[in-house]
Amino acid sequence: MQAQKLQVKFFARDEISEVALVPVFHEWIKQGVVSDELLIDVADYSHVPDGPGVMIIGHQADYAVDRDGARQGLTYSRKRLAEGDFAARVQDTFRRALSSCVRLEGQDGLAARFGTGEVVFRIQDRLLAPNDAATVEAVRPALEATLAKLYPGQQATIESIGEPREPLTLRITVSTDASAAELLARLSA
Amino acid sequence: MSAPTWKDRLSGEMSPEMTVEIDTFEGQIDLKKQGKLDDKFFAETRLRRGAYGQRYDNGLRSDGETQRTLTFPQALTKGPDTQWDAPGMMRIKIPMGRLSIKQLEVHAELAEEYSDTILHVTTRQDIQLHYIHIEDTPDMMRRLAAVGITTREACGNSVRNVTACEYSGVCSTESFDVTPYADACMKYFLGHPDVQDFGRKFKIAFSGCHENPCGLVTFHDLGAVAKIVDGKRGFKVVVGGGLGAVPVEAKVLAEFCPAEELLPLSQAVARVFARLGEKQSRARARIKFLVDKLGLDEFKRLVQVEREGLRVDERWTENLKDLTRLDEKPIRPGAPLPTEGPAEFLAWAKYNLKPQVQEGYYTAIVKLPLGDFTSRQARRIADLARDYTGDGIRCTVEQNLAMRWLSGADALAFWERLADIGFAEAGAGTITDMTSCPGTDTCKLGISSSRGLTAELKKRLTLVEDKLDTQVRELRIKSSGCFNSCGQHHAADIGFTGVSRAAGGRKVPHFNVVLGGQWAHNAGKYGLVVGAVPSKNIPKTVQVITDHYVANREEGESFQSFIERVGKKDFRGILKPLQVIPSYEEDKSFYSDWGDPREYTIGDIGIGECAGEIVPFVEFGLQAAEQELHGAQDILDTAGGDPAVAAAGAFQSMVTAAKALVRHLDKQCRDDADDVALQFKTHVADPGLFNDPFVGNKFAHFFLGLHASQRFVGANKEIAHKCMDEAQLFLDACHATYQRWLEAANQAAE
Repeated sequence: MQAQKLQVKFFARDEISEVALVPVFHEWIKQGVVSDELLIDVADYSHVPDGPGVMIIGHQADYAVDRDGARQGLTYSRKRLAEGDFAARVQDTFRRALSSCVRLEGQDGLAARFGTGEVVFRIQDRLLAPNDAATVEAVRPALEATLAKLYPGQQATIESIGEPREPLTLRITVSTDASAAELLARLSA
Repeated sequence: MSAPTWKDRLSGEMSPEMTVEIDTFEGQIDLKKQGKLDDKFFAETRLRRGAYGQRYDNGLRSDGETQRTLTFPQALTKGPDTQWDAPGMMRIKIPMGRLSIKQLEVHAELAEEYSDTILHVTTRQDIQLHYIHIEDTPDMMRRLAAVGITTREACGNSVRNVTACEYSGVCSTESFDVTPYADACMKYFLGHPDVQDFGRKFKIAFSGCHENPCGLVTFHDLGAVAKIVDGKRGFKVVVGGGLGAVPVEAKVLAEFCPAEELLPLSQAVARVFARLGEKQSRARARIKFLVDKLGLDEFKRLVQVEREGLRVDERWTENLKDLTRLDEKPIRPGAPLPTEGPAEFLAWAKYNLKPQVQEGYYTAIVKLPLGDFTSRQARRIADLARDYTGDGIRCTVEQNLAMRWLSGADALAFWERLADIGFAEAGAGTITDMTSCPGTDTCKLGISSSRGLTAELKKRLTLVEDKLDTQVRELRIKSSGCFNSCGQHHAADIGFTGVSRAAGGRKVPHFNVVLGGQWAHNAGKYGLVVGAVPSKNIPKTVQVITDHYVANREEGESFQSFIERVGKKDFRGILKPLQVIPSYEEDKSFYSDWGDPREYTIGDIGIGECAGEIVPFVEFGLQAAEQELHGAQDILDTAGGDPAVAAAGAFQSMVTAAKALVRHLDKQCRDDADDVALQFKTHVADPGLFNDPFVGNKFAHFFLGLHASQRFVGANKEIAHKCMDEAQLFLDACHATYQRWLEAANQAAE
């Protein structure tokens, strides 16, 4: 699997204020909090119902606290320059998404909390990852390897959601109370 | 196994012309990466394909305290002061705003895979996708081309998107449906040699009637208003309109131009503009300045002379043979609207449904917030079209979508499904349906945050919408981030244009307040500038202006009439308290813009790409000839390459170069080799214009001789090599000739 455009979304447990988020994201750019990514600008789409919310546009990846599917969450979207084989890229995408969840949870005045029992994994590339059963099977080993690290000893359910016109989208559900920080630690161990 | 590519996947689904066009652009990207194309040339070539710069593409961003460098990974540039890796915008031309269901779905895919999932409808019926990487653009173009869309000439100094009323063909006040005429115009001028050598962009609009505003022809470079005289179809043609810092209402070029004469007349206008329009000073390069400089009568005379000298082109009327070719058909039987239903539905039906001339059908306006919608919403809208209205979707100049052919019987179900995707808001064409250019969000020229302001005003006005005075509710608000006026604020009841002011050594974002513009009658009158107000006081300003109107209007007096009666002076007095800027210590919020907490600066403004780079058409021609010759050489150098194909390619490169020189002399020339050879001989070789100081006309004979002998046909390797050598010498001579012409022109100017 050669696709680069991998996306992971963790859902917010509580409402995150988009007004409060805009200065936080500007500060991330100013402070260069992601040392190996170039963060370029903040895009505020909070006026669009169920839209991408507030985003950081980056060169390698975008970060958004979006409302896609009418549910707020943190979405990390890798766009290019991901390194390693597909399994490594999948793991890296989860790691970066979780890092930003943890960073947002630690942000004063934002009261952000993310659930970890449900994740959406998407590949935004219809050419390299068509939305069909064969791609799901091709993706599954790499995804399961990352899920095994994230949720040791627990059975994660992977199901294809959405319609055929959409990019390949998988919902992962698992029974867990672990925090984003715990998951990040497991992945980094 | 190599990875699949869109080029292979879509092979056969694109027209041959588009295939070559996109492959050529991809080749130019490669050449640029190898350092073989200069910045200025590459900038213009990408602009002409719709690949536009965005803010920060100079690699600088202010964080509110200091200006920081964005260290994009690749050191390359894609134009003067434009970083290669900087995110850019792709402007996609949607002629007349017409979108099919399939085309909308492809846009949704592109926004998801290459952009930020947002499709943005512009004030000229285009769709823009932002934060695009330049290397993704060829594949995007291929996916669009496969569904019949081009981005060619969406930007740059050429004919931009041809716009037309979104109600064309379904409107009760139109003289006739302008769609096929606008389509013919778009097709005729796309890539036409006579529109490649402008000093600035050229915008064309069509309107079905004079009274209504949908076409907005009066602020276009060229406008055509449908008219029937003695039972014959034609157009009132206007020229030289424009907004920008110097708004000018277009002047009447022809009170009635028969339909079959419209393209030749427009071509004559284009040729006069290309020949005499300003090329050095961008600020004065639009056609409105030329009309003003020459005077309308002289401009008309020159156009007439040009028209008389045009060689007949069968394409003038080719696309007018079948005027029904673009007709839309309803997919559901027409029926009246229900008279009962939820209050929200009835409010929506009142403002967002316009009865069509076809009984039982309505055009539904889907009100998009700031012109934005997501990929997912685009697919839902496509589904709605599939189920209820068919392919007749149009982007509107008010940044909405018009869905035509909705049966009254389906209106409630349609509205319920719109509600499911968040777009069932009423109030199309009212005070909450605002228009805004991108402003400082993404535009390099933006001075103030027009989108930030619009979002804030919309939020506040939506809350009180139901309580507003009826006449106030029907006012229009439009905002532009700078004087270039892409938000079309001059034609709004209340318009805003971004400016900057200084206070206590700091910059403060402001908006100029423009009052009393007229949207009706094709934007029949522009508003008055009454003064600049700090951005953060604009919501109060709207309140004060509308309160003043409600309190002091005469019975039945419209807002425009009121502004005209009370004048600027009255409003200046009213706005004065709002123009006071508190000190930084008193209120820091005045020193940042709407939606952007950083301390305000205009230090990150870039050089505008709106104007494009001024690269003369002849240089494009010579560059294209070089590429053709390189391609031919590659064939000859490749094992098994057919020498006859290589030789023919070499000859074609000579044709291309010769044509460029002929057209540079403002002589008409078709694309075929015979005509190019004839015109080159007549206008370049025979008058001695190609004479080299040492070898005279020798190199001209390489081309003319090869054309006469046709030696390249079926050439073997030896002949192919000779053709290649002669072609290279001829191309070198073309470059030298052009340089001599330039030097002579410069000396004459001095």
